[in-house]
Amino acid sequence: MIELNKITKKFTLHNQGKTNILVFNNLNLKINPGEIVALTGPSGVGKSSILKMIYGNYVFQSGQIKINNHNIDHTYPRNIIELRKNIIGYVSQFLRVIPRVPTIEIVMEPLLEINSDQDEVREKAEKILLKLNIDKNLWNLSPLTFSGGEQQRVNVARGLIRNYPCLLLDEPTASLDSVNKDIVLNLINEKKDSGSSIIGIFHDEYSRKYLNAREIDITKISDAK
Amino acid sequence: MQPILSVHNLNKYYGNQVGCKNMNLTLYPGEVVGVVGESGSGKTTFINSISGNLIPDSGKILIETGNETIDFLEISESLKRLLIRTELAFVHQNPRDGLRLDVSAGGNISERLMSIGQRNYGNIRQTIFKWLDKVEIDKSRVDDFPRTFSGGMLQRLQIAKNLVTSPKIIFMDEPTGGLDVSVQAKILDLLRKLVRELNLSVVIVSHDLAVIRLLADKIIVMKNGEAVESGLCDQVLDDPQHSYTQLLVSSVLRV
Repeated sequence: MIELNKITKKFTLHNQGKTNILVFNNLNLKINPGEIVALTGPSGVGKSSILKMIYGNYVFQSGQIKINNHNIDHTYPRNIIELRKNIIGYVSQFLRVIPRVPTIEIVMEPLLEINSDQDEVREKAEKILLKLNIDKNLWNLSPLTFSGGEQQRVNVARGLIRNYPCLLLDEPTASLDSVNKDIVLNLINEKKDSGSSIIGIFHDEYSRKYLNAREIDITKISDAK
Repeated sequence: MQPILSVHNLNKYYGNQVGCKNMNLTLYPGEVVGVVGESGSGKTTFINSISGNLIPDSGKILIETGNETIDFLEISESLKRLLIRTELAFVHQNPRDGLRLDVSAGGNISERLMSIGQRNYGNIRQTIFKWLDKVEIDKSRVDDFPRTFSGGMLQRLQIAKNLVTSPKIIFMDEPTGGLDVSVQAKILDLLRKLVRELNLSVVIVSHDLAVIRLLADKIIVMKNGEAVESGLCDQVLDDPQHSYTQLLVSSVLRV
C-alpha cells in the first residue's frame, strides 16, 4: 500500500534568483495492493516527481508518504535504503549502469541483494530476458550499446525480476514495439495479480486500458496548478 | 541494526587553517558513504582523520566490532595499529602509496595476513591466488614486482592487498582518480561486487559525482571544511537543497 497525505513539494533554485516553484500543494493519493494507478496530465505537471518522492529521490516540505506503513523520512536515510531493498521497486525511464558490465549481471543484481545463490539467480535472469525477447547473444554484452527499446527491456527485466510489494514505473513501455509492449504489460499485470501496489506513468491510452489502471489526473488532486 | 562506524563532531585544524570542522558520519554494515566536494574542501583531511592516518583535534569516533564498541581516539597506539591492520583498510588514490613496489604482488597481498599471525605458506599462497582471481589479475603474475604492472592493475592489487584480511570498514580516497575511463569502469564494477559479496562498509572520497552515484548509498557534500548537505545519495544529487550542492550538481558535464 502506498499513501500520500497532504503533500507539499516545492523547488527552491538558489542559484537562479532564489526562484520558488510550487509543484504540489495538499496532494493526496492512495494505491491499494493489487491495484494499478496511472498518473496522467500534461508534461511538466509533476508525474515523475510523484514517483521520485515515493522512491525517496525528492524531498517534500510537508505531509506524509507511507509505504506499507513505513514513513519516507529523509532524516533517516538508512530506513529509505532498507525500504528500497525490501519493499519498493522502481523502473526508471533510463538505464543507469556501470559501463562494461554484462546485461545478465545487471538484471541479476537486484535479486542478489536477497538471494546469494548465483546459479538460481542467473536462471531467473535468463528466464525474464528470454521472455522479454532479448537475444541470447546480447546477454554477455553491456546494454549501453543496445537500441533504445532493448535498453528499456533490460531496465524492465531488472525492475521486475523481483516481487516488490510496491512498484513504481516511469514510462516502462515508451519506446517498445507493440509485441514487446504487450509482453511488458503482461508482466506488470502478473505483479498486480500477485498483490503489488503499482503506480506508473504510461504515455499511451492503450497501455492504461490494457492494465485496467485507475487513471488519476494530477491537476485534479493537487491545489498547486 | 547498529552503525559499524559513527563519527561525532570531528574537528581537524592545521594551525589556524580549518581542515575539517564539525563533521558527523554514520555508516551501517554493507553501506557505502560518498564524500564529495571541490578540491581543498577537506575531503581527504576528513577521511584521513577518521581512518587513523591523521590525529583529529577533537571529536569522537566509535567503531562497532560486533562484541564491543571501540572509542578509536582513546585506545592505545598498539591496539589502534592492530585495528588498522585487521578491521580497517585504506585504499589510496595512488596505488604506489599503498603498495610496496620492491615486494612481489603475492608478497604485498600476504603482508596483512602475516601481520595477523598466519604462517602456513600453503594457506597463504592459496588465499593470494583467490584474491588475484577476485581482482582479475592473472595468477602467473604472482611473483612479479608491482612496478611491472599497469596503473589499473596496481589499483586492483592495492584493493586485494587491503581486503585480504576481510576488514569491516574500507576507506577509499579517489580510488579511480588517475585511471582512464575504461579501467575506471572495471574498478567500479569490482568494487560494487565486493561490497555486495562481502557486505563491506565503505567511506569513499571522490570529486566525481557520477562515480559516487554508482557506488554510494549516502553522501556528504563538503565545502570549506564543513558538511553543507548530507543524506540519501540519490536524493542529494536529484533534489539538492543547499545552494552549493545545486551548483555542484548543475556543473557536471553530460556526455
